[in-house]
Amino acid sequence: MALVAGGPVPPGFATAPVEAARRALLSKRAGEVARHWPLLAAGLGAAWPATFTEWAAGRPGNGSLRDGWDLARELRNHGALPPLGAEELATREVTLRYDGRSRPRPRRLPAVARTGGAVAVQLAGRVRLLRPATR
Amino acid sequence: MQLRQFVRGRRMRRWRMRRITGRALPTAAPSASSTSPYGVGIGWRPEIAGFVADLPGLRFVEVVAEAVAPAGPLPKGLAELRGRGVTVVPHGVRLSLGGAEPVDPARVAHLAGVAALVDAPLVSEHIAFVRAGGLEAGHLLPLPRTREAVAAVVANVRRAQAELPVPLALEPIAALFGWPDDELDEAAFLTEILDATGALLLLDIANVHANARNRGGDPHTLLDRLPLERIAYVHVAGGAEQGGFYHDTHTDPVPTEVLDLVRELCARRRPPALLLERDGHYPPAVELRGELDALAAASGYPVIT
Repeated sequence: MALVAGGPVPPGFATAPVEAARRALLSKRAGEVARHWPLLAAGLGAAWPATFTEWAAGRPGNGSLRDGWDLARELRNHGALPPLGAEELATREVTLRYDGRSRPRPRRLPAVARTGGAVAVQLAGRVRLLRPATR
Repeated sequence: MQLRQFVRGRRMRRWRMRRITGRALPTAAPSASSTSPYGVGIGWRPEIAGFVADLPGLRFVEVVAEAVAPAGPLPKGLAELRGRGVTVVPHGVRLSLGGAEPVDPARVAHLAGVAALVDAPLVSEHIAFVRAGGLEAGHLLPLPRTREAVAAVVANVRRAQAELPVPLALEPIAALFGWPDDELDEAAFLTEILDATGALLLLDIANVHANARNRGGDPHTLLDRLPLERIAYVHVAGGAEQGGFYHDTHTDPVPTEVLDLVRELCARRRPPALLLERDGHYPPAVELRGELDALAAASGYPVIT
């Protein structure tokens, strides 16, 4: 709990090593999510590790796909999603259906998504970015 | 292709037969395509598949078991290595053998399926837990070194061994912190688990360095006390000092201290094989070749680059 869910360090454990392990875990997750969301991470550039770890601290992981997706949506809601991230999010939104609670599922029907000026469409499994994000 | 399917089919039949009869059938001479790990190897990752494919002397690789679909097909680069007779060892990271709950049969079946798919001579997993109370840590976490934990691990290892077609090698992990109620030291903890299960040892020499550096203890004493004759192969990886701790990152170069420990280990008893693990921040090919050459030099095995 202390390591992944923001709980207190249980009695008897050395605080500094557990805290170091907690931070190491977060930075490892940041790297894994960046692999699944390369454009989101690239769009944030040097701010990526801090942005991710601040968001993820105390939030147990749900897998890199969902973690990156949740973060991208939250950044979008705060107007902080970079253009590259907006394009990646729009592309994902038309490919898979994700309710924010369970594993994303492939879409069977055509879909359109607009994020930060980016417009993506999916028809019969083929995905196109119709318009790039506003830069 | 047909021959490989035949060999795999035979292996699966032997496995099923052993499960029925409860004992091993006499095995024919092992096919040249599935020899035990030997010499210097490298962890196969899609990002460095081209680099690995170009290593002329390569005889064995490891693949993260969870990254392979047991029904196939194998990733292309891996299938080509198998075609060349390179041994592939599936390495599990999500089995959670150290969990308080019984190991998940579906995850064991996955590992068994991947072993059959690559015609592996053995598989490996960690002495660790990765989930508890419904939370996924996404990381290998240390067990308390207690008799109770030994019993839990032994029970899970036996459950896994009963379903696996090949031997299992167990890998002790690196941890920044320990539990307050440890009853055994690392050597006694590992030896009890290995003795009770008959499992092989996958020794991670970088973890030996990391644990000694972060938690105290003499790495040489640990090497003196571990059952080195049970080592199937050795992991070697890079890391970095940060915030007063040594982090076993697998994304940094292998430090001199770790290579020194490789020499110390080989002076006591040279393991059959050593494998370089690199999991990100991939350096230029020349640097990665340099790391493999340094490993060959430290162990005295042939250069594979």
